Amino acid sequence: MTPVEIGALSIGAIVFLIYIGVYIPIALGVVSFAAIWIMRGNVDLSFALTKIAIGDSAMEYTFATIPLFVFMGLIVSKAGLGADIYTVMNQGCRRITGGIGMATVGANAVFAAVTGSSIASASVFSKMSVPAMLSHDYNPRFAVGVVAGSSVLGMIIPPSAMLIIYSFVAEQSVGEMFLAGVIPGLLLAAAYVAAIWFMGRFTPGFVGGTIIEDGDMMSWGEIANKTLPITLLIIVVLGGIYTGWTTPVEAGAAGSLLGIIIAAVRGRINLKSFWETVLETGHITAALLFLITAASMYARMLGIAGLPNALQTVLAENNLSFFWIMTLLVVLMLFLGTILDTASIILIVVPLFLGLIESMGLSLVWFGIVAVVAAEIGLLTPPLGLSCFVIKATLDDDRIKLKDVFLGALPFAFVMLLVLIVLIRFPILSLALL
Amino acid sequence: MFRTFEKIASGVAQAANAAGTLVVVLLIAVVNYDIVARGIFNKPFLGAVEVVQFSMVLIVFLQLPDVIRVGRLTRSDGFLMLVSRRNFGTGRFLSRLIDLVSATFMAIVAWAIWPEFLDMWETKDYFGVPGVFTAPWWPIKLVIFLSACLCIVHFALRIIKGPTPPTSDDGLSEKFGGDGSIEEKAGTP
Repeated sequence: MTPVEIGALSIGAIVFLIYIGVYIPIALGVVSFAAIWIMRGNVDLSFALTKIAIGDSAMEYTFATIPLFVFMGLIVSKAGLGADIYTVMNQGCRRITGGIGMATVGANAVFAAVTGSSIASASVFSKMSVPAMLSHDYNPRFAVGVVAGSSVLGMIIPPSAMLIIYSFVAEQSVGEMFLAGVIPGLLLAAAYVAAIWFMGRFTPGFVGGTIIEDGDMMSWGEIANKTLPITLLIIVVLGGIYTGWTTPVEAGAAGSLLGIIIAAVRGRINLKSFWETVLETGHITAALLFLITAASMYARMLGIAGLPNALQTVLAENNLSFFWIMTLLVVLMLFLGTILDTASIILIVVPLFLGLIESMGLSLVWFGIVAVVAAEIGLLTPPLGLSCFVIKATLDDDRIKLKDVFLGALPFAFVMLLVLIVLIRFPILSLALL
Repeated sequence: MFRTFEKIASGVAQAANAAGTLVVVLLIAVVNYDIVARGIFNKPFLGAVEVVQFSMVLIVFLQLPDVIRVGRLTRSDGFLMLVSRRNFGTGRFLSRLIDLVSATFMAIVAWAIWPEFLDMWETKDYFGVPGVFTAPWWPIKLVIFLSACLCIVHFALRIIKGPTPPTSDDGLSEKFGGDGSIEEKAGTP
């Protein structure tokens, strides 16, 4: 067998192993180790590669952004900032059909700017806005669908764990990736709001709901109290990165400290829950960085097999246009989205396409946004829609089945696909802020 | 005998985990100290980058064994769950096989990193900028080696004990755990 064939076979082996339940980093590591051994007929190179991957990957300075932003997201959830922004948004949207839905999207977009994970958003908002929507007679499917759909914003609007991972794989700056995510994230949020408006207008049966008439209005002081802390956090984190005054790592640390202060002032944490939050941060970081470490073995294995080059040659020989290459990429990612989680998809697919994208003279920053959005659609589609699982588990309501969550999320996955097409067609949307 | 061993192994993993948790706090503190020292007093903490790099290694490898112990290493277990529900014996066999492969991989890691440690121990090689801030390499290699060994132990324990019967949290043994309330809570020391 040629190295290219072995490389292609090992991708198949990895996908198969992950599917039958092998831990994802282990599948990546073991297969890469074996593939290099077979290609070179010598185990020494495999060991050398393992040594480099394990020893060096975690030493990457920018990876410090992962624990810092994960911690910040967890601590602001504990401080109740997500709930605050939601109540304020809700007041603004209460007279519109589907208003609570729009408020959820808006609150998610703001909350996404202080948290790096879709799962955090999904669990926070399914506890707040789903019960609120159900009590106002919304269609349960619509209620969970909105939460699932908008939770995806957490991974696109910076800070985002996925953008950090991509920036490692593609050797791009984390700060630039963060800035690139702002407009696409806002665009997606706007598209969701528009979609909800359309659904309320043309398929009111799917939305359901009654207009909220109760006159409990918040005073301006209360609104300020609920919005100022999160505004301050956004200014410190994104403002610092945008002006270049702080690196992403420093922005994460400053945001974490500010999060601790806000939570402490509000009396939302004590020593025990603080410790639990840090512990949770560590677990998430360790699991994620171990995955990245194993993925760096995989990327090096692909390089040794010469697979990215071979793919490039094949695509060039067939004279595939930009349109077909992007179609191929999106279809591949959607397919993998049905069995893999977002981080794994990015780590497995992106190294294959990087050389190709670069040789076509396209921006790797733009490609990162496209890859992350494409991979995120998988969070909403069965059988492995992680956001949907989290919502189902958090709700713990027998009236809502997992099937309802997936069906409710479907229109939003479709909106995401439309936005993805727009992002591919107009790279300026991702690159304008750089 | 087995119980005692299991207890010790769990204790070590939890202790390492607690140490790793302290490093996270340290990381937040060091970077903030550097921002203030540099921004306000114009006296940057020169070793900040090296300390951050060092602490990342500590966070990952001190906490990895505990991640394995509580079963939160990233996997998609939909298929495994389906098999276990149809036929628990087959599912248990597959599950043990997977843990065996995982233990083997951690053994490869340990085997690959051990000569590195010996090498660094003897040469006293360091990283960082000489005259500004330097730290020796060997503690990093040692932590990785010990961590890999502890991971082997915990995978072995999983093989011996076999999988626990399916819980209601189907498919949720994933990373990025939300606000913690829906996740299995890690044992706090």
